[in-house]
Amino acid sequence: MQHASLSVAQSLLIALWVAAVQSRALGYSTLMLRFSPMMTGFIVGLVMGDVAQAMKITAAIQLVYMGMIAPGGAMPSEPAVATSIAVPVALLSGLKPTEAIAIAVPVGMLGSYLYQLRFYFNTFIIRLTDKFASETNDKGLFLGIIVLPTIVSFVLYVPLIFVALYYGAPVIANFTASLAGGKIFHILSVIGGGLAALGIALILKVIGKPSFLVFFLLAYFMAVSLASLKINTVTYAIIGGIVAYLYVMFTSANAEA
Amino acid sequence: MSAEKDKNLAPEKITTKDLARSWFRWWYANEIPHSFDRYIAPSLLWGLMPILRKLYKKQEDLKEAYERHMQFFNTQAIWGGGTILGITASLEEARANALYEGREDEAVSAEVINSTKLGLMGPLAGIGDAIDSGTVQYILLAIALPWAQAGSGLGALIPWIAFVTLTYIYGFYFVKLGHRLGRAAAVEIVGGANIKKLLNGLSVLGIFMMGILAASYVKVSTSFKWTISGKEFVLQNILDQVLPGLLPLVTVMGVYLYFTKKGLKITQALLGLSVILGILAGIGLL
Repeated sequence: MQHASLSVAQSLLIALWVAAVQSRALGYSTLMLRFSPMMTGFIVGLVMGDVAQAMKITAAIQLVYMGMIAPGGAMPSEPAVATSIAVPVALLSGLKPTEAIAIAVPVGMLGSYLYQLRFYFNTFIIRLTDKFASETNDKGLFLGIIVLPTIVSFVLYVPLIFVALYYGAPVIANFTASLAGGKIFHILSVIGGGLAALGIALILKVIGKPSFLVFFLLAYFMAVSLASLKINTVTYAIIGGIVAYLYVMFTSANAEA
Repeated sequence: MSAEKDKNLAPEKITTKDLARSWFRWWYANEIPHSFDRYIAPSLLWGLMPILRKLYKKQEDLKEAYERHMQFFNTQAIWGGGTILGITASLEEARANALYEGREDEAVSAEVINSTKLGLMGPLAGIGDAIDSGTVQYILLAIALPWAQAGSGLGALIPWIAFVTLTYIYGFYFVKLGHRLGRAAAVEIVGGANIKKLLNGLSVLGIFMMGILAASYVKVSTSFKWTISGKEFVLQNILDQVLPGLLPLVTVMGVYLYFTKKGLKITQALLGLSVILGILAGIGLL
């Protein structure tokens, strides 16, 4: 509970970061920035001067959002927006990482409507871009394709996130802090810990055939039974890579035979 | 016709440098102008603009080309966008040369350019979403997650930097492949045996890493205990003797089955799981 509220500068910096991500103004590098809460959590940690705790909270949020992909552009939730509010609230009120998920999830859903709004405004800009294209006006196209959509997104995101952080975060933080330790917190914590199952189930469904589940079970029981050895994830990734290599090698050998 | 051949109107050659420049422009504009009716068509135009300027020296040809690429277009940035950018550049180059040489009947028509883009954008986006967004991204995040959990900012920075660098490099490879092979490049990517192997291998690795993550980070345990004739029984201890890690596994598989039966209804699954966990926690089972 080191902070009572966010300063104007802190709220503004976080709001600008969210706008830069959600406007996609940093090119394709914004794909992971938008799909994953990690970098947003890191920036919030830097701005609020507590990177370590911010990262712990964000890691818990990440698990819920594993497997989020956006075919066609729309997602049911916006992890970066969710994190930009949930991590400051959790830092202000001293929430546990699994409890912070309860704040992140509803905010993320609201965030997805905001993203749709961006498409809507861009639809108006297209009329102007069409005109510049017909004139082969490269400066005009710079305006229509890059500058105006970016400005629109910043106008959309910066004030909203700023107000939510500057005025909203302390209120939510005080409210949640007043509930601390009770039954509700136990429930929130259980939900937060279990929701990680959602992200993982989603990714199993999205990237693998049902027959690949056997590799999930292999890794799961390996990690559960070897937990005391504290094998790190890079080692596990190497083992997984070898398993994947063997799988591809054997299946393609069958196909050739 | 040959009287029209003015050296100043000759299309310039498209070099690797031009492709690199266009790749950066497409990569940068990518989702910025996304709109409901054209999706990310303007971004492809933004990428192609310097190339079109080198190819079409006649104002009306250039205007036509610009307008052509304002038509609806949507794909994934790396596998779809990279390949299609390269292929489109090669088609536009062929068209520009044919027009300049007065072989209008033989020139690649505007319809062919458009239908090539529209035909390839879906299949390539499917591959790109599965590999980049769905697998490579989450393998990197899974590897780095424990660092974040331990409080290190590297858990955020390393997967991001790695993902951006990797996708930028192989995306440019697709641009060059598309430009070199033209439409044959798409056959190579969509139908190629190596891509299938790569996709399978990455899927296995991704799914394996999810098993590792599930074991450490899905936290479902029961707090239920009871006493029989002075002896206390703790349900979680009994479960751990039967099969360690049973409850988290049941939770993951439960959601997986839900997705299998009902489709990918993420919001419903989220609400449903929250309610079930909430009730179980409320009555003291979890």
